[in-house]
Amino acid sequence: MDLETGTRRCFSCGFEMAEEDAHCPNCLCSLHEETQEEWECGGILQPISLWVKDDGSWEILQKCSLCGELAATPRAPRDNPLKLLQLAARPLADPPFPLERIGEMTRLMGGSGSTEGYYDEP
Amino acid sequence: MSRENKKKKFDKGYFQKHPCLDPFTCRVCGRSVVPEGAGTDHRNHCPYCLSSLHVDETPGDRRSKCHGVMDPIAVWVRKNNEWALIHRCRICGKLSSNRIAADDHPMKLMALALRPFAGEGFSREGLARMSRHMDVRDEGRP
Repeated sequence: MDLETGTRRCFSCGFEMAEEDAHCPNCLCSLHEETQEEWECGGILQPISLWVKDDGSWEILQKCSLCGELAATPRAPRDNPLKLLQLAARPLADPPFPLERIGEMTRLMGGSGSTEGYYDEP
Repeated sequence: MSRENKKKKFDKGYFQKHPCLDPFTCRVCGRSVVPEGAGTDHRNHCPYCLSSLHVDETPGDRRSKCHGVMDPIAVWVRKNNEWALIHRCRICGKLSSNRIAADDHPMKLMALALRPFAGEGFSREGLARMSRHMDVRDEGRP
């Protein structure tokens, strides 16, 4: 917090944040001020993933770079869309199984579910 | 009571040092889950419905008094390019990150990863506007 100009800068990227922002709208990081055991941490909470709640609203999941604790912060309307896309697409870009064999794998494991719903409801 | 069972019962940090290899019945989908096939000694969620239980505060300490069902809410990619699930406790809202196991249901995992794209979160008009603005034409240049 800059007392002279009344602005606050993001500790991670230096973006000028508004007073009411819970996280930086540019890099989606925030400062880990207090852990769940009410210790002061001071690490930077970095965004790792997105979570869609039951009512359709989003929360950004963050992980502290210092203590590793997870936190959730609601998505703000001015959040950087490219960062949000990156967070959402990262698991798809790096899947743990070959995507062209996902149906075969599921059948081998005796599970149900299929990818056929994209074109029409099976 | 054998020595090992006694240790399990009375040694507070037992599961921090030893893997838990007991089969269990999933409290959400009711399937019985065996430790074999996970590819890891630490199976902490049901491979079919991916739900977990809030028994630990830090891995293996069995200190939690909550014992709520933890729903899988998201996946993320760790530094070693491996997926991890994020669980959230239904009762107290605690978040925790767990490695996926080898026999986790691939369709379920994919459904979790696709969830942000399924709703109205990314507006198509917004993305179209953004890409139009990014595609700058140099009109001033000779």
